[in-house]
Amino acid sequence: MKKSIITSLSGLKWKVIIITTLLSPLGVFAAGPPKPSELHNPLAIVLLIIIIALLLVIALLANIIIGAAKINILRLVEDKSKTATKVVTILLLCFISSYTFAADAPAVATTADTTIAGLSNTSFYVLLSVIFLEIIILLALLYNLRLLLTKEKAALQSAELAEQPVAKKGSFIQWWNKINGFRSAKEEAAIDLGHDYDGIRELDNKLPGWWLYGFYACIVFAGIYLYRYHVAHSAPLSHEELQISLDKAEAEKQANLKKAGNNIDENTVKLLKDPADIAAGKAIFTTICAACHRPDGGGIVGPNLTDDYWLHGGSIKDIFKTIKYGWPDKGMQSWKDNYSPKQIAQIASYIKSIHGTNPPNPKEPQGTLYTESGGDK
Amino acid sequence: MQVEKFYYDNRIVKMFGYATVLWGVVGMLAGLLAAVQIYFPAANFNLPYTTFGRVRPVHTNAVIFAFVGNGIFMGVYYSLQRLCKARMFSDVLSKLHFWGWQLIIVLAAVTLLSGYTTGKEYAELEWPIDILITIVWVIFGINLFGTLVKRRESHIYVAIWFYIATWVTVAMLHIVNSVEIPFSWIKSYSFYAGVQDALVQWWYGHNAVAFFLTTPYLGIMYYFIPKASGRPVYSYRLSIIHFWALIFIYIWAGPHHLLYTALPDWAQSLGTVFSIMLIAPSWGGMLNGLFTLRGAWDKVREDPVLKFMVVAVTCYGMATFEGPMLSLKSVNAISHFTDWTIAHVHVGALGWNGFLTFGMLYYLTPKLFNTSLYSKKLATNHFWIGTIGIVLYAVPMYWAGFTQAEMWKQFTDEGQIKYQFLETVTHIIPMYITRSIGGLLYFIGVILMVFNLGKTIAAGSFIGDEAAEAAPLLAKTETHGKQYWHRWIEARPIQMLIFSLVAVAIGGIIEMVPTFLIKSNIPTIASVKPYTPLELQGRDIYVREGCYLCHSQMVRPFRDEVARYGEYSKAGEFVYDHPFQWGSKRTGPDLARIGGKYPGSWHYNHMWDPRSMSPGSIMPNYHWLFDNKIDTSLTGAKIRAMITLGVPYPENYDKKANEDLEAQAKSIKENLKKDKIETSSNAEIVALIAYLQRVGTDIKAASNQ
Repeated sequence: MKKSIITSLSGLKWKVIIITTLLSPLGVFAAGPPKPSELHNPLAIVLLIIIIALLLVIALLANIIIGAAKINILRLVEDKSKTATKVVTILLLCFISSYTFAADAPAVATTADTTIAGLSNTSFYVLLSVIFLEIIILLALLYNLRLLLTKEKAALQSAELAEQPVAKKGSFIQWWNKINGFRSAKEEAAIDLGHDYDGIRELDNKLPGWWLYGFYACIVFAGIYLYRYHVAHSAPLSHEELQISLDKAEAEKQANLKKAGNNIDENTVKLLKDPADIAAGKAIFTTICAACHRPDGGGIVGPNLTDDYWLHGGSIKDIFKTIKYGWPDKGMQSWKDNYSPKQIAQIASYIKSIHGTNPPNPKEPQGTLYTESGGDK
Repeated sequence: MQVEKFYYDNRIVKMFGYATVLWGVVGMLAGLLAAVQIYFPAANFNLPYTTFGRVRPVHTNAVIFAFVGNGIFMGVYYSLQRLCKARMFSDVLSKLHFWGWQLIIVLAAVTLLSGYTTGKEYAELEWPIDILITIVWVIFGINLFGTLVKRRESHIYVAIWFYIATWVTVAMLHIVNSVEIPFSWIKSYSFYAGVQDALVQWWYGHNAVAFFLTTPYLGIMYYFIPKASGRPVYSYRLSIIHFWALIFIYIWAGPHHLLYTALPDWAQSLGTVFSIMLIAPSWGGMLNGLFTLRGAWDKVREDPVLKFMVVAVTCYGMATFEGPMLSLKSVNAISHFTDWTIAHVHVGALGWNGFLTFGMLYYLTPKLFNTSLYSKKLATNHFWIGTIGIVLYAVPMYWAGFTQAEMWKQFTDEGQIKYQFLETVTHIIPMYITRSIGGLLYFIGVILMVFNLGKTIAAGSFIGDEAAEAAPLLAKTETHGKQYWHRWIEARPIQMLIFSLVAVAIGGIIEMVPTFLIKSNIPTIASVKPYTPLELQGRDIYVREGCYLCHSQMVRPFRDEVARYGEYSKAGEFVYDHPFQWGSKRTGPDLARIGGKYPGSWHYNHMWDPRSMSPGSIMPNYHWLFDNKIDTSLTGAKIRAMITLGVPYPENYDKKANEDLEAQAKSIKENLKKDKIETSSNAEIVALIAYLQRVGTDIKAASNQ
């Protein structure tokens, strides 16, 4: 008898040891993220603190389990086979999680070029995986502890329960009733508070656990959120976010311009003759420019674009420049954020193409005379 | 013990009930009109009184303060008497309350349609009406607490906790947000400016939702669901915790309406985290309502009253989960300024407030008229038509919101904005059309209800004074054994009032006081100068026409907004804006950097017929601005009011303001002439052009130097 108690006790110890040894390499991993400088990252510090705190909790819980097991030892002896399954379950859990972790690591390593709050993706996910694993272990330990503690109670109640017919309900409904701690209609009298307001009674049901812990979780979230943004400064505030997105956009744009040969500016622009380009220019002109220059280019708010007179020069390069940068003082806005250099060249070329079309009732000539060969006169 | 005989006052309940139905119909019709105007600009009828910018505030004010407001009073006057086992404190006060409230509603409709507005959403009413609201609210308060004092029930039920919190918080919100400096017998400027005005306004706006549309209706839920289902309240403990947590946390969440704006980041973060913490307290109310129905779901299948209430509470749960999600910055970056917000609030308004009101009306009318409902079948049809209406309203609006936000943020590979603003609007017009069909269905449901209730009333006989009896309250409450700690305050309504006030005051104080006192929260920009008299007049026209209801003036620090509109908005730019005009919806493009973007002649043509300058635009025409003359008699008073508010105009500037106004108007007139446009220099359009050309340019002047 005594010998078997010792064996099962050592079995338990063994179980705890396995868990801690499984954890320890991860702990080392977590303490040494790839770049030493990342240790100064506030997010890394926060994550590491969480990891250590969880480790402490695990150690504590493991101790409690050993204690509880000692009390429960006799029952363990009686029902050895069940314990064995439990051990196997836990081990399996540990292996599964470490397996997933192992599978994650290489995948993460390849995408290490991006960062999360100043922490490389690899370190971030490694740290996160460790926390995830720790939580799984914690849950497993808690589950085990609960089994141990309720064993006695269950044994006492099992006799009673056996007599009651168990209503067969859908598993969802059972689960729902359980997580809300619903009580049956029979038990209602016991929790009636005796209040009576115009015939309204009040029951004293417990707060649903998921609701209560959800509330706590939201409060914890609030604390972490404020800490990250305003104490650790590990998350970008509004204007920092803008800078990040602008930098990223600029890099993408440059890369794309190089690739697409779309790198036209006012110095390199050439008059386009291809009918497709002219048509594309016309399409934009009639939807956007026509508001001020009239669909036929005769001008209303803006000047006539079909005559020989130009306020800001009539060459393809000048027109390109006018569209691109605008003349904001005179009401012409800049279109460089709305249209690509290619599109602006198309609009400018279309404008050149309607020169001399003499639309009816045009706006009077403005600016200086420009002819193609002689330039400004 | 001697039992006392007394009578419940059902007349006042009936009056509020009729008013609820009447204003519900009016408010929803105004909403339908506004919904049609969005895709069919001709429905603005080219008249100032029927244009979207004035119809929309009439719709929101009518459904919130007239429909739901009267609904609250109907529910409170019915349930309070019964929960206190006492008639209302004073029949005279009840009547004063009723007629005072209806007077406010009529005055609101008339002034809003005439263009008298403070320009602050859901607080648009001008200062004389604000004072009237305060008086009527105090009358309601005296009646409420008077009844509580003469109650025959030793403890006050959870519904009444919510009524008390509602009363005290609405009083606080209304008074603080309505501080304004009058410059004429009906018009005023907000006491606060720019960022501070925005913070106070959304502290108010958010909590108008919390303490006008939520807490009183939770109280009503706590009375009518147990009564209609005959089931006990699920958990007394949950009531206590969710009540105190709800009122304490709700008040902090206002800044989530101002994420990514020029409001200091710390205040934005407080708005976010308190919104997240609000999920559980809000859901506590939903759970207590739905779990109360445990064991009564068979009744829900039969009884239209319970059907309405179940959907109402479910919509409440959905909206109060969605709200906190919308407060997360990454979600808000997509949802804000789009129709997503419109969908969100209508799930709350149509589902929670509307359906709970209908449930209450179907429950109360047969009781008041001592008969049974004319047709259960018709009520069930109302329920289904209304539900389909809500779905048909909300889904297209969610879709429109996602789509438009997505389109705004698209760039081409070359790094240019992919869609012009107008393209993003014309793209979602089919969704707008579907939304109005959803609204129409919901409205048809209401008409069915009016018919059903009318038939019920015709068949019954009204019980004006309902007999009841109860023992008087003992001077000292006897307690047997150990009582739950919370029972102490439940026997003391005044302490309940004080504790509630403390709970709701904390959040506002912590957010507002530093924003007002600490200078670093609103860094000064030297180049930002007060408006010229003409621009000030133009700004008042901008406010009067409700431009802020479709156009924001807040460029958020996003790549797409900076590319589309220009430099993002800074806190220091708004220091002379009484009231702020940041807006909450972009049906049209942002106007924070409109100044100098187009020539004056563009604005001139655009205000006459927006489609001449931007084909496909859904903006109304503003023909009257071309005939109306600028009211220069008020220029001096306006400048004096601004000086009182600390705007640095030179000494005695009010006397020569009109000279400057005329000179500037002349120069605008001359400029228009160059573009072949003839106009009188004192037409309102000139002032509006002056204002629009000024908006957002002060900071440009600084960068040019």
